[in-house]
Amino acid sequence: MSDPTPTSARRPDKAGFVIAFGLAALALVVGWDAWRLASVNAHSAVGPAAFPTIIAAGLAALAVATAVEALRAGPVDRPRDEMGPMAWVLAGLVGQIALLPFLGFSIATGWLFAATAKGFGRGPVWAHFLAGTVMCFIIYVIFAKGLQLSLPAGPIERLI
Amino acid sequence: MDTFAALSQGLMVALQPINLLFAFVGVMLGTAVGVLPGIGPALTVALLLPITFKLDPAGSLIMFAGIYYGGMYGGSTASILLNTPGESSSIVTALEGNKMARAGRGGPALATAAIGSFVAGTIATIGLALVAPTVVDIAISFGPEDYFALMVLAFTTVSAAFGSSVTRGLTSLFIGLSLGLIGIDLQSGQARLSFGIPDLLDGVEVTTLAVALFAIGETLSVVAAGSRADEIIEPVKGSVFMNREDWKRSWKPWLRGTVLGFPIGAMPAGGAEIPTFLSYALEKRLCRKPDEFGNGAIEGVAGPEAANNAAAAGVLVPLLTLGLPTSATAAIMLAGFQQYGLNPGPLLFVSNPDLVWGLIASLFIANGMLLILNLPLVGLWVRLLAIPRPWLYGGILVFATLGTLGANPSLVELGMLLIFGLLGYVLRRYDYPIAPVVVGLILGPLAEQQLRRALAISVGDPTVLFQSPIALALYALSALALFGPLLFFLITGRKAPVGGDED
Amino acid sequence: MNHMLRGALLAAAFTAASLGTASAQVGDLKIIAPAAPGGGWDQTARAMQQVLQSEKLAANAQVMNVPGAGGTIGLAQFVNGSKGDPNVLLVGGYVMVGAIITNKSPVNLSMVTPIARLTGEYEAIAVPANSPLKSMADLVAALKADPQKVSWAGGSAGGTDHITAGLIAKAIGVDPTKVNYIAFSGGGESLASILGGKVTVGISSLSEFDAQAKAGKLRLLGVSSAERLPEAKDVPTFKESGVDVEIQNWRSVSAAPGITEEQKKQLTETIGKMVQSKAWKDLLAQKGWVDTYLSGPAFAEQLAKDVTATQSVLKDIGLAN
Repeated sequence: MSDPTPTSARRPDKAGFVIAFGLAALALVVGWDAWRLASVNAHSAVGPAAFPTIIAAGLAALAVATAVEALRAGPVDRPRDEMGPMAWVLAGLVGQIALLPFLGFSIATGWLFAATAKGFGRGPVWAHFLAGTVMCFIIYVIFAKGLQLSLPAGPIERLI
Repeated sequence: MDTFAALSQGLMVALQPINLLFAFVGVMLGTAVGVLPGIGPALTVALLLPITFKLDPAGSLIMFAGIYYGGMYGGSTASILLNTPGESSSIVTALEGNKMARAGRGGPALATAAIGSFVAGTIATIGLALVAPTVVDIAISFGPEDYFALMVLAFTTVSAAFGSSVTRGLTSLFIGLSLGLIGIDLQSGQARLSFGIPDLLDGVEVTTLAVALFAIGETLSVVAAGSRADEIIEPVKGSVFMNREDWKRSWKPWLRGTVLGFPIGAMPAGGAEIPTFLSYALEKRLCRKPDEFGNGAIEGVAGPEAANNAAAAGVLVPLLTLGLPTSATAAIMLAGFQQYGLNPGPLLFVSNPDLVWGLIASLFIANGMLLILNLPLVGLWVRLLAIPRPWLYGGILVFATLGTLGANPSLVELGMLLIFGLLGYVLRRYDYPIAPVVVGLILGPLAEQQLRRALAISVGDPTVLFQSPIALALYALSALALFGPLLFFLITGRKAPVGGDED
Repeated sequence: MNHMLRGALLAAAFTAASLGTASAQVGDLKIIAPAAPGGGWDQTARAMQQVLQSEKLAANAQVMNVPGAGGTIGLAQFVNGSKGDPNVLLVGGYVMVGAIITNKSPVNLSMVTPIARLTGEYEAIAVPANSPLKSMADLVAALKADPQKVSWAGGSAGGTDHITAGLIAKAIGVDPTKVNYIAFSGGGESLASILGGKVTVGISSLSEFDAQAKAGKLRLLGVSSAERLPEAKDVPTFKESGVDVEIQNWRSVSAAPGITEEQKKQLTETIGKMVQSKAWKDLLAQKGWVDTYLSGPAFAEQLAKDVTATQSVLKDIGLAN
């Protein structure tokens, strides 16, 4: 846990505020859903809305507590994160979701492997993509033949 | 008692070379699928049932036993080395286990998990053979109000054990509780927080959340740290195997974990996750070096691993004595029995003693075989960490998505993996503990359902919650967990040893 | 693995041998199981796969799992993605009828081509051996006295067990919304609560209670079949006890929407041959499933009846509008 470093200038921790805001938003969503459920039906002692209401109240209280803490703590020095490499990994995950229905498990997951490796600074992407696709195709075959489980199939998988 | 005669008879059956081969195939398969998140022993046994029908009953049940225990070992190996919990009962293992692995102590972590699993599995299997009928009577007497009290105990002990900042720990817990609301409410059939998306109606899968928060969140954190995090992971620092001190710090957690795991596993609504939480909290409380918790304390691996394997044996208590399948795997095993025309139920021990004892004996064999196979492999396993980071993390992500896709080939499921992965990254970045999110997702719905069941049975009368002696005893324990440190301070005048920071 | 290899070789041999008699054989079949691997629908799909291949009724059959939301996700995918494709089948069942209504699913069973009902199970009501309720009549009396005092343990709310409880209440003139139904997530858990005397009665498929009843730990009050069942000869049906409820939790197979009459006829024939094969009968016996095969217009009629009855009882319970 990073030490809060209070500075002379009383500037609040911005991230803390954003998190407090996020919690408040979540509290609203959960609370709204509870309100909707409360009006649906209630022929049991404790209905489906009771727990969501408690959780929403708890989230709201935590949002306030987080905001207060952010105010007290002042700005926190966090090391900068490198967005470039992270974007590669995210592109890998998003790309896998996008490619899966059309190109099947091997190609989509091969891309995930290549993009992740690239994010960690290892290229070239195409070589990793090829290696990843071959590896995933072997996995596909093992799953299909050994476990009788069909992973999403694409042009390569339909060959077998 | 001819228990031992029956057991040795069973051992004779299980030790035949052909059956040893089945056990070997079983443990290998079990380990392999245990490593994959989302795909566990239950699914594997289910898929293999049609194939194994051609084998004789003894052979296939021995293989199932191997898969069952093998899955547990595989789950913890993935947790420790890859921070990718393969099974929901090995989530807690990842907390300390992966920290140890990163500090070059993966060997001892794997060893204490393997030996702890063996010790706990063996003791619990002996318990299964000797005291099953007694244990099951107690387990059956647990009503919804008692389960609710057990959940309260789990909440109080667990929330005290995660992290030092109350606000942060609670925030994580409440995020988990909110996620636990998603899906159709069991009691009323109403959809909650599903926004009309059919894929959300079944709720959030525990392994999906755990894998996303741990493995994907971690990958994102590490890649974002870039050069900052560029220290090389040393696979081995010091001894590959456990040293004297490791042994000294492990044996008591093993036993305590067993004591927690076996009875809770035997309860029809107990499960294998709760004992691992309780064991972690207990070990943290009792540890002489509490500041090591969060940085790779061996007790945090030894206890929960023992608890999880003891619970796995505990699950078989209601199955074999009453024919009650209380876990997915048990339900499949039941199907396995039925396949051979056996009707598990109160009469199974009487009508088919050879088979029951054969199964119990094969659990011993599987356990021993796993220990013998796993210990020499520890050195090899930890070498995984020597894989260059780009490939290691690429592989981790492939594994994480593969497990999810195998169990449910749905894009929404993959989308959840991505979103929860981002959540894991944000939580890490702003110093929020991860584990309470998973705890909230698991315990929240259980606590809610049990409470509502209790109140529905009593037609709304809340006093039912405080009438059972079991519930009262559990509440007393919760109070002790909450206020124990305070009492300690008031009596002795010094601060109770409380846990250090987590992550 | 060896087995797989052998299977592949056999399949190859069959395809070669069956070229001459290919009339009844369909090509590559895809069977969608709208549930996770291991569940009832998945097992049905895999049983079909096994028999269709071994009986040479299909050159190759493959099972695809599309789990979620009581089968409605698989159904939606099937309706939207397989239109007019005669080589895709969907396994489903009565549970889906309820799930479509409670989940307000945009797709329903009238959008697929029903082929046949394959197997079925009947519901049973059980009480612990020491319960004061000795017969269905006792239960009816207790329900009429105060329905809230009778707690029922069963599966999830809105499922087959809940629907049956609602139908019983309705049949005896008790307000179905007053049924004190306690949902449990697994068979073992609800069975434990019945054995432990935590609830008044348990309701589930007969097979869940069978072993306990034979051991004398549970007493069966009634079953939901039309006639007494061979596996529980001394248990009266609900109807015998004056409760006019009959319900079967069936599993069925459907074909894609928009296939031609010709294709439908061929698929119905293929499934009919499958059901008659010895391999299928052996498999059912092995799994303890009851053959309740029904095809063609008879099945379509039964299905329509089930849909109406379910819709109305779910509305009464307050789970549909």
